Amino acid sequence: MSDVKSLEYPTLKVPYELLNKKFRLAQKVIDREASYVQTAANELVKDNKTSVPAGEMSILLGGVVEKLQTLKRKAQESIAEELQAGMVCKRRLEHLKEHANTAPSVVNQWRRQRLDRMLIEYFLRKGYYTTATKLADSSELRDLTNIDVFMVSREVETSLANHETARCVGWCYDNRSKLRKLGSTMEFNLRVQEFIELVRQDRRLDAVKHARKCFTNYDHYQLQEIQCCMGQLAFPANTSLSPYKDLLDEKRWDRLIEQFRHENYRLFQLASQSVFTVALQAGLSALKTPQCYSANKEGRNPNCPVCNEALNELAVPLPFAHCSQSRLVCSISGKPLNEYNQPMMMPNGYVYGEQALEKMAQENNGTVICPKTKEVFPYKKIEKVYVM
Amino acid sequence: MEACNVVEREVDKILLKFGVVNEHAETVLQDLIHHIESLKKEFAEAPANHELTPGQVQILKEAMKKVCETVHRLTTEHRELHGSVSKVGKAIDRNFTADFASTSREDVFSGPEKSHLLNQVICQHFYRHGMLDIAAELAMEAGIKTDEGTKEPFTELNYILDCLKQRNLEPALDWAKKHREALLAQNSSLEFKLHRLHFIRLIQQGPSKQTEAITYARQNLTQYVGRHGKEVQALMGTLLYLPNGIQSSPYSHLLDPTLWLDIHDVFTREACTLFGLSVDSPLSVCINAGCTALPTLLNIKQVMQQRQVNTVWNGKDELPIEIDLGKDGRYHSVFACPILRQQSTENNPPMKLVCGHVISRDALNKLTNANKLKCPYCPVEQNPEDARLIYF
Repeated sequence: MSDVKSLEYPTLKVPYELLNKKFRLAQKVIDREASYVQTAANELVKDNKTSVPAGEMSILLGGVVEKLQTLKRKAQESIAEELQAGMVCKRRLEHLKEHANTAPSVVNQWRRQRLDRMLIEYFLRKGYYTTATKLADSSELRDLTNIDVFMVSREVETSLANHETARCVGWCYDNRSKLRKLGSTMEFNLRVQEFIELVRQDRRLDAVKHARKCFTNYDHYQLQEIQCCMGQLAFPANTSLSPYKDLLDEKRWDRLIEQFRHENYRLFQLASQSVFTVALQAGLSALKTPQCYSANKEGRNPNCPVCNEALNELAVPLPFAHCSQSRLVCSISGKPLNEYNQPMMMPNGYVYGEQALEKMAQENNGTVICPKTKEVFPYKKIEKVYVM
Repeated sequence: MEACNVVEREVDKILLKFGVVNEHAETVLQDLIHHIESLKKEFAEAPANHELTPGQVQILKEAMKKVCETVHRLTTEHRELHGSVSKVGKAIDRNFTADFASTSREDVFSGPEKSHLLNQVICQHFYRHGMLDIAAELAMEAGIKTDEGTKEPFTELNYILDCLKQRNLEPALDWAKKHREALLAQNSSLEFKLHRLHFIRLIQQGPSKQTEAITYARQNLTQYVGRHGKEVQALMGTLLYLPNGIQSSPYSHLLDPTLWLDIHDVFTREACTLFGLSVDSPLSVCINAGCTALPTLLNIKQVMQQRQVNTVWNGKDELPIEIDLGKDGRYHSVFACPILRQQSTENNPPMKLVCGHVISRDALNKLTNANKLKCPYCPVEQNPEDARLIYF
């Protein structure tokens, strides 16, 4: 169960953040509609209105009813969305709870789904959106992964890559209070970029107007950057002077994309690394032994993942597994060597399990063949070794 | 499990409360709408230029006051849910680990070469599971070249496995016939097991298939009498009980459906060995090992931080703690010297003493005194020159 605790944080936290967002949005909608109703009702009972004819009053009352109906409809819609967001959390919890089932077929299926979920997240972070969608659809995991969140960010990223800021500004606006709490400079940087683009097009007056509109309400610590921007106005768009040349660099857009990704992760409390790479690193380390890197290929085991060519190279910088107790396996049968399957040494110094050698001797009229050196020995020459 | 339950309780609470607020809002607003509408009707029925009587004004004022109050109460009710919503978040924070990445290094898989390798591994994983379309999509998006050679064996194997799942033995039998010699060299009984299943299926269909079953046995089973004599005898024994049904015979175990599940595993194992492939996808094995290892690693990291010894583990040479992956997670023998508590290396290999006990060469040198060595585990005294280098 502890693996669920340490690995599934993003699985639950992201839908929670969405639920929280939906809640705040619903509150806003309900507050607004309620205030419309209240204004209409108060309007009706103002002193000078009491003398109007009954017919007119009935029309005014009709207005109140209409507003009440809108409130009712909107409240229902908002709460339905909140319930839906809550159900997503619940669905994921139910999936995680299936992990407690110990039937081997269920465990295997669950693990396979877990790997698929991890891969989907990895693909999304890498920007392989089509593959992620395809995998999610074919393994029916759409609800259990945060694919929708990434799809929204994909749109923003492509628009930034096309040098458009509108979508990203909209995103900043959507998440304004949260971003402010995180101390994000995303919106400011976007505004700076807009300013730079105006300068690049030599629309300097528009740039000044833009600066007046946007830069006046930022914090004092951004003053230096704002000054830098304003200084830009004095230079031509092809200047080679240091801070201004950097501001005009096209690479600034890539940095904006990078920053957006980062802020989006922070917004949903996603870690900077994907669960997949974290688990893979831990797994490779736990399986990595010096034999996987031994010079003679004899020591390698085709079943060992770290001996697999590509993974072998990936695992080079990772630490080896720690082992303070001998852990021996028979390389013929793959079974562990212990008191039931004693380690036996051939005259050439190679050690195998008693069971495998016995079986081999029975099949070959009392002789055994060393699978590594192909030497043939009579079974009697085999000696027991004792490993503490 | 407890962690999930705690969070689920909070989620259930909030779902319940949303439901209550929703229902309440609906009834209250509906009542209010009825009330105002009846008022409106009353006014509408009055003569067009009729002025409101003071009584009517009073009613109107009260009605509007009620509207304002109800609506206000509604917004407050919804706002009060905020506490319960944030409790869900807090429960998640408390019960699940947010910084699970603290033990891993970000640079290990970054860079174009590394991510290319990783994508190749993932592609192979999909081939292995027969998800060819997804592998193709990934290859396109990530820009990896796939050569048909790596895909080929998996396409065939997955087709055969699918057929086996549907209890169609033909493709598997053909495959086994094609690779008969290689299979025999690895001492495999796959082909016999496939024939046996075919025979059993004929027997299951009752006495009408009796002659067909016997012909099949004559054609295909005779070649196995040498190696699987007992099993062939058992198969032929079923013919005795054919008229009365095999369910109630001593051979009923042959009807066990697990035989079909077994053949699936046997086939995968034999075919993978034949092609020199691992039985399980390396990626799945790694990830499962990682999921087992990670909680322990996170724990030790936390302890190290608390004791302020986190500089001891730089994450480069060896993990700080032993991870038990169970008996399936062992692929190599690791010999740790029982004297020095160190893993053996090429410079410090395991040595077998004359008495059969194994220690590392460094330990052997340390224990040697005046060209004499007493085994640390038994009373035997010996010449250290007699110790032998062994290989696990």
